[in-house]
Amino acid sequence: MKIDILEMTPTKAELVISDTNPMFVNALRRTIVSDVPKMAIDNVEFHLGPIMDEGGTAYESISPLFDEILAHRLSLVPVPTDLDSFIYRSKCSCNGEGCPSCTVMYSLNKKGPCTVYSGDLEPIGSEKFRVKDDLIPIVKLADDQALLIYATAELGTGRQHSRWQAALGAGYRYYGKIEIDHSKCDVGLSCVNVCPRGVLAKEDKKIVVRHPENCTLCNACTEVCDTGVIKVSGDPSKIIFRFETDGSLTAKEVLIKGLKILEERFETLREQIGKLEE
Amino acid sequence: MIIPVRCFTCGKVIGSAYEEFVKRVDMGEPPKDVLDALHLDRYCCRRMILTHADLIDEVAPY
Repeated sequence: MKIDILEMTPTKAELVISDTNPMFVNALRRTIVSDVPKMAIDNVEFHLGPIMDEGGTAYESISPLFDEILAHRLSLVPVPTDLDSFIYRSKCSCNGEGCPSCTVMYSLNKKGPCTVYSGDLEPIGSEKFRVKDDLIPIVKLADDQALLIYATAELGTGRQHSRWQAALGAGYRYYGKIEIDHSKCDVGLSCVNVCPRGVLAKEDKKIVVRHPENCTLCNACTEVCDTGVIKVSGDPSKIIFRFETDGSLTAKEVLIKGLKILEERFETLREQIGKLEE
Repeated sequence: MIIPVRCFTCGKVIGSAYEEFVKRVDMGEPPKDVLDALHLDRYCCRRMILTHADLIDEVAPY
């Protein structure tokens, strides 16, 4: 198996995996979507009763949205994750009570009128857990309204709830194999013009395949060609795989962790089969 | 009500793009160019922004 990187940014990855098959790539896709862990806010405590400011003005601790909706919105905010320094709360030595090696605490204190943004979440402890995308509106507060919230983030997987889903928009498609019979081609250019992805181009009085990685196998070129010299087919052993992340983890971390989880799983399977043979 | 934090379909964070989108479209930029500039490539994320009715200011007094 060979992996070529077409694009690798912190939030987006596009890879060409060759000498493989759809079953393997699908296993990888399912793993990075549902089994790669990340941090997300899981528990939100709302202060009840009046909130006083320094001047002695009393604010009501309510907002236009229900507390449940607010908690849900907070849970979907991507929280920076360091996979090496955190473990699942249920497997932590604190027995699920919450300690610095399994949870991150946030506080949010805002008085209306204003818009509460994700950037208003103040991490308690290290500044490195500050939410990177600080412009997500959480709620708008009217006059005399205020929020005082303590939220805890913990590790989880996409299998439990989508707030812990590390990768999004993960998908794969076959690499396009485009064959042109140059001896019969009349270079009418209709195929070049009809291709919605700019795969084909004219070079030295010949139609050439310039960007095969963009081909979506739509077959528009074969349909428009009068002479029938273009053949488009998918190659199941060469697959374009791509996914994005929400910014909690980088695309590279997600990919490496996903492959590691797959490896561990196959290793346990191998051990169990080995036991059967004895 | 208020712009959802994430796209309902794919889960991309779109909440942070909404205010910039509204500001730039009000200044006369074509919505298509703004959506492209905000890296909202899939049509599921684009419809979240395009079809959103921001009603929270009308609900807030109650």
